[in-house]
Amino acid sequence: MKIPSRARAVLERLAGASATERILISTAALVLSILLGAVLVLVAGRMTTCTAGEAVYYFGTGFCYDPVVVFDRLFLGALGDPFSGGWSPNGQFSVTLRETTLLLFTGLSVALAFRAGIFNIGTQGQMVVGGMATAVLVLWASSLVSGVVGTFLLVPFGVLVGAVFGGLYGAIPGFLKAYADANEVITTIMLNFIATGVTLYLVSGAFKDPESAANQTVPLPEYAQFPTVLFGGRQDFSLVALFFGVVAVGALYYLLEHTAFGYDVRTSGIQPDAAEYGGVDAARTIVASLTLSGALGGVAGAMYVMMILGSFQSGVPSYGFDGITVSILAGNNPLGVGFAALLFGVLKSGTTVVQFATDVPPQLVGVLRGLIILFVAMPEFFRLVGKRVTDTGSKVVATDGGAPGGDDDE
Amino acid sequence: MSESSQGSDAEPEPESASESGFLEQYSTRVLTAAVTVLAVVALLVGGWLFPDTIVGTFADVISSENTLSAALRLSVPIAFAALGGIFSEKSGVINIGLEGLLIISAFTAIYVTEVTGGVWIGFGGGVLASTLLALLFAIVTIEFRADQIIAGLAVWLIALGLAPFASQVIYGGPNTPTVPTPGTISIPLLADIPFFGALFSASPSVYLLFLAVGLSWYVFERTTFGRWVRASGENPKALDTAGVSVARVRYAAVLLSGVLAGMGGSALSLDLGQFTGNGPTMVNGKGFIAIVAYLFGNYNPIGAFLSTMLFAGLDAMQTVLQLQGIGIPRQLIRITPFVVVIIVLALVGRTRIPEAAGEHYESGEE
Repeated sequence: MKIPSRARAVLERLAGASATERILISTAALVLSILLGAVLVLVAGRMTTCTAGEAVYYFGTGFCYDPVVVFDRLFLGALGDPFSGGWSPNGQFSVTLRETTLLLFTGLSVALAFRAGIFNIGTQGQMVVGGMATAVLVLWASSLVSGVVGTFLLVPFGVLVGAVFGGLYGAIPGFLKAYADANEVITTIMLNFIATGVTLYLVSGAFKDPESAANQTVPLPEYAQFPTVLFGGRQDFSLVALFFGVVAVGALYYLLEHTAFGYDVRTSGIQPDAAEYGGVDAARTIVASLTLSGALGGVAGAMYVMMILGSFQSGVPSYGFDGITVSILAGNNPLGVGFAALLFGVLKSGTTVVQFATDVPPQLVGVLRGLIILFVAMPEFFRLVGKRVTDTGSKVVATDGGAPGGDDDE
Repeated sequence: MSESSQGSDAEPEPESASESGFLEQYSTRVLTAAVTVLAVVALLVGGWLFPDTIVGTFADVISSENTLSAALRLSVPIAFAALGGIFSEKSGVINIGLEGLLIISAFTAIYVTEVTGGVWIGFGGGVLASTLLALLFAIVTIEFRADQIIAGLAVWLIALGLAPFASQVIYGGPNTPTVPTPGTISIPLLADIPFFGALFSASPSVYLLFLAVGLSWYVFERTTFGRWVRASGENPKALDTAGVSVARVRYAAVLLSGVLAGMGGSALSLDLGQFTGNGPTMVNGKGFIAIVAYLFGNYNPIGAFLSTMLFAGLDAMQTVLQLQGIGIPRQLIRITPFVVVIIVLALVGRTRIPEAAGEHYESGEE
């Protein structure tokens, strides 16, 4: 139908842009979003009330929120204040790395599907399903082994369970797309709602921890969770998990760029017709890439359970949707996902610092997420701006007449 | 362009796709509708024969006036958004951000009502907010050639962050305080008709919806603008040759989708008197269900309304069933509309979307 041909057009355009240009566009999008975010903080600061002493003054007007403080806390706070002395790896910095770890997986999940020309909006649901399965099955397995041996067996087992269940859940929209032509954007969004509903049912009923008031599973024993290395573990961060994530980045890069499967995925993303003519089984590639994409989402769920919470709880944070931003910001390149995940990890972790230091609501990062996606999606805008800046005067500016189509010529 | 779009159908017979494909999807659509009607009739007959079984309970629920009035109420936001989606997509711009338009208007309607005290001023405020967001979407996709799907996702995510953000700033929590609702309008005598009386004793937004469905149908089928919108999505080149600006028609259509979705979002929150912004907010996927509703309704405003009634009817039934304490757990009943959306989409997956939808149109004059 049209969606794949559209995705192809986008990818062609993105592929057409050089790597430098892509990095420039992503950076510009990020800077522009932050500037708009600052304006939003100022406007919000006008709409709320505070005492005159708390207000800050810009351009002779008082504002309740100070964007400089907000972004200082957002970025420096997230890094654990490296310039103010007393930096410790145990502080906010490990929270940042923790968020980065999860975003690596959700970002890779979205990126892989995107490279195949598929919009996987369902990483969130795949993560929820993978996390729930991990929590239940690892708890069951943890009664069989214990101690250090237990950790060595249970952690890989949990990751595998997350991958399998996330992968199966990702295969559903894959089959629907490959064999029933059902638009994957809609089906994956619907499957997100279904995953949330079904896990809420399970976690408030059959698998509920009888000793907890919250809807959560029985907590995993310490040895069934990711071990903490170097970092104190106070912030639920495990270097081992991050290592897994970095390996995943390299592995996916290798898979996409240097294997036959990766070649199939990339060609069906860029030129599905040519790919099929060249002998690529389109339906199989769709199902395989969505399954693998779901598996990566499921691993994120497993990490969330075995590193952060220690159990599965209803109301999983929106790592899956952030994964979309990470992937788009990275131009759907696995190596780029590494950087984008770290950057977004800073934003996510900084949010809590901002919340602690100011009254600015944490939903600010949600808005930034949307703005970043919006700007990265319009490279034309930046090209136009770039052109205006670089060759002013070289062209007669005669489009002011408002002639239709006049804005289109460049 | 047409070659590539046919070839990407992933099916081996591209030549016959346009002919048999149309027949095929037509029959699945009719089939689904027929099965639905049959199921309802079977339940009613079964319930009449065995009133004390679970079938009897289902029959009671379906034939209850409360279910119809709940279905009408629930269909308002979805149907408005679906009408908006039809205009936009028919003109060649796939608007996947309908969900975001609903969210932003639902919040703004409550905010403006709370500030001004006027429910209808609030309604207008919601529509305005949604239209502005649609304008942003239009500029980004038409002017700067952004990818429509990604920009639509961005619209959704921006609204999903912005509405709870604003609510937190203004009211100190993701949920707003309650405001007065527009109430219901009852038409004397007609409202007393059993079952169908629900049609004549409803919130003003339900009547607005009837009006909007009729008007949209009229605009599409009987006016020049409707023809332009269709041409802009099917064959922009021809429209351009005829001297009509494709960009302007698309701007108008996307803005219209903002107005319509805004009416839906405002009605959604004002009918309840509150905006709730936790998690996926009170809109909770209605914008995405709307997309499936108009696909299922084959881009016909009346068809879209009827398929919305199917989804909303299911939703209404699950609410009534919950109250009756049927043995199915609440959390599972709640996901039925989403499951049905997937089944419907799998059945009518091969909907023929407008030829040029999703593609940027570059005016030939350079």
